[in-house]
Amino acid sequence: MVKKTSNQETATAVIVDEDELSPDSEEDQVFTDLSNKLAEIRKDKGVTGYILRNTTSATIDLKEPEKIVEYALFSSQVLDSSREISNLFELGDVESILIEGKETNALCMTIDENKISIFMEKDTDHADILKRISP
Amino acid sequence: MSNEVYTLALKSTLQEIQNACPDVTSNFIFKDGKILAQDKNTNEENATQIIAAYDTIAERTDIIGGLETMTIQSAEGKVNITSINDLHLTTVSSNEADEKYVNTLTRILIPIVIKLVEQIQPASTDNETITIDQTETEDDTTEEIVDENEETVDETTEDTENYQPYETEEETATTELDEETEQTETEIDYEPLLPEPPVTQLIIENLKGFRVPADTVRVDTEVIAQWNELYSDKKINEVEVEALNGKTTRCKVKPIKKSKDSGKGIIKMPEKIQLTLETAAGELVTVKPVVE
Repeated sequence: MVKKTSNQETATAVIVDEDELSPDSEEDQVFTDLSNKLAEIRKDKGVTGYILRNTTSATIDLKEPEKIVEYALFSSQVLDSSREISNLFELGDVESILIEGKETNALCMTIDENKISIFMEKDTDHADILKRISP
Repeated sequence: MSNEVYTLALKSTLQEIQNACPDVTSNFIFKDGKILAQDKNTNEENATQIIAAYDTIAERTDIIGGLETMTIQSAEGKVNITSINDLHLTTVSSNEADEKYVNTLTRILIPIVIKLVEQIQPASTDNETITIDQTETEDDTTEEIVDENEETVDETTEDTENYQPYETEEETATTELDEETEQTETEIDYEPLLPEPPVTQLIIENLKGFRVPADTVRVDTEVIAQWNELYSDKKINEVEVEALNGKTTRCKVKPIKKSKDSGKGIIKMPEKIQLTLETAAGELVTVKPVVE
């Protein structure tokens, strides 16, 4: 897992090491749990990859790692625009978004501050994945 | 039928959907970034912003092969945007809505209405399509006899097997056409939307010969097999051919019989059709099946 490096102009760089992190940090615990769940889901037949990120960390596992930028932009755009659409209709917080493409599907959601996108083949059971990833 | 009537038909359908299912709180249809039809509850300004948001997502969907459907599940309701051909149907429903019922209403009823409206709409929308005049068939065949060559003999042999006098063919064609027209006018086709006809690029080869119908092209058997596979329960009798110059025509189609021509990506075309398309042998054309 990659952790953010914080720099200060007059001080020595402070590297936040995963081992030194407070294990009871709730936010971090949620991220770790989600990361574990996604790693399990990734083993499913038909699941082609996922992106998990919060304000400090990111875990990415994609079938096409060379397209990481495209996937990240897509993921970000879906979450942002969906929130906008939901607000326009006054529907409250977005729980999940299913994007059905011509070739693959994507399931996106936000859990706490963690933004998740799971990519899968079209015939994959997205409802089951949603159930497993939801808290 | 004008666009206004088309829009009115869609608008009425959207309103009826909402009447039938009060849990649908808003629905509208858009095309090319513009609202085509909306129900009474839909705020136009909101709809415009939603279209913009949808478009920004659609721009990023190359990695998933393009956007077909988007479903946003929120705490207090659901938004679904589905593509139907080049139209996009947006449905907003509460969480209490019966998803299957709403889907039945929207994903089946709307395509039926669109299909029905398009069928009723006069062929004037296809202004560029040139229809071959069947009455000129005989004259052209006579001219082609002069150009007989080796290929002509082969083709003639093939065609002689299936030869029927032209008058009979014309009568049959006319009768079929009348029947089809009547069916279109009286019956509503409740079948689901068919997939978009695939466009195939083929090279023109001359089709000459005694008794070669001037309104029929011959296409690679493999290509026809693909069409038949795609539209299993529909018989492909006609194709729309488009030349590189943009000229199009609709004509009958039959498979190429000679096995040596199979798989070469060619279309055998009578001179008359070549003249109509202002094209010639050796040039490329795009061909797509006419599914009715």
